[in-house]
Amino acid sequence: MASGNINVSDVEETLARIKSHKGVEGVVIMTKEGAIIQSSLSEEDSKEYAALISSLTEKASSLVDTLDADDELNFLRVRSKKKEIMVAPEGSFVLVVIQNPNATID
Amino acid sequence: ERVPPSFHQRATRMQECTVQYTASVEVFEQVNMATNTASEVEETMARIRSHKGVEGVVIMTKEGAIIQSSLSEDQSKQHAALISSLTEKASLLIQTLDPDDDLNFLRIRSKKKEIMVAPDNGFLMMVIQNPNAVE
Repeated sequence: MASGNINVSDVEETLARIKSHKGVEGVVIMTKEGAIIQSSLSEEDSKEYAALISSLTEKASSLVDTLDADDELNFLRVRSKKKEIMVAPEGSFVLVVIQNPNATID
Repeated sequence: ERVPPSFHQRATRMQECTVQYTASVEVFEQVNMATNTASEVEETMARIRSHKGVEGVVIMTKEGAIIQSSLSEDQSKQHAALISSLTEKASLLIQTLDPDDDLNFLRIRSKKKEIMVAPDNGFLMMVIQNPNAVE
């Protein structure tokens, strides 16, 4: 990521593109610690997701690190009956996308 | 002639034995099914392991006790402990968000590998693969 060249409108375009995918229920950008930068969810939902997900991501990151100190968490995918939560950590930030896995089949 | 009381006792005892016998037959059948299931499990594991890029397969209880593993004992224990703990947390996350919901699948991808975890009925199946071999 050439962070010098990315501006706010690029970020918003990307978010809008993700959000327009069929089945996407929410997109959250947060810090590793769970502080919300941007979110398409309500404030309450955002807070709930952010807290739970940052904690789980930290644990997954630690797991990868414990198994191999050279390795790094790239992506985390949590799938349940009703939803799929995709988590992409990047530096000190985390991108979270929540989708309905059943809407994306076909 | 009156039937002696000891006869009643013996009849009751015979009935108990019959119940126990029937129960034993049921248990035997279950063990049979479990044995068949065990070989199915082994077949499935062998099939998964033969996929290109698969580095290991571990079947464990959700508490992390190892049922079957293709890894060394040390590696199995390490993975089992870490993964059962993470899966528990992911499961809790899903249920906190929606008590009706249940964790189906967990996929942890790092630079060097991909770990997939499928919970089912108190057990976990974990597959480690090299994501680059599969492209």
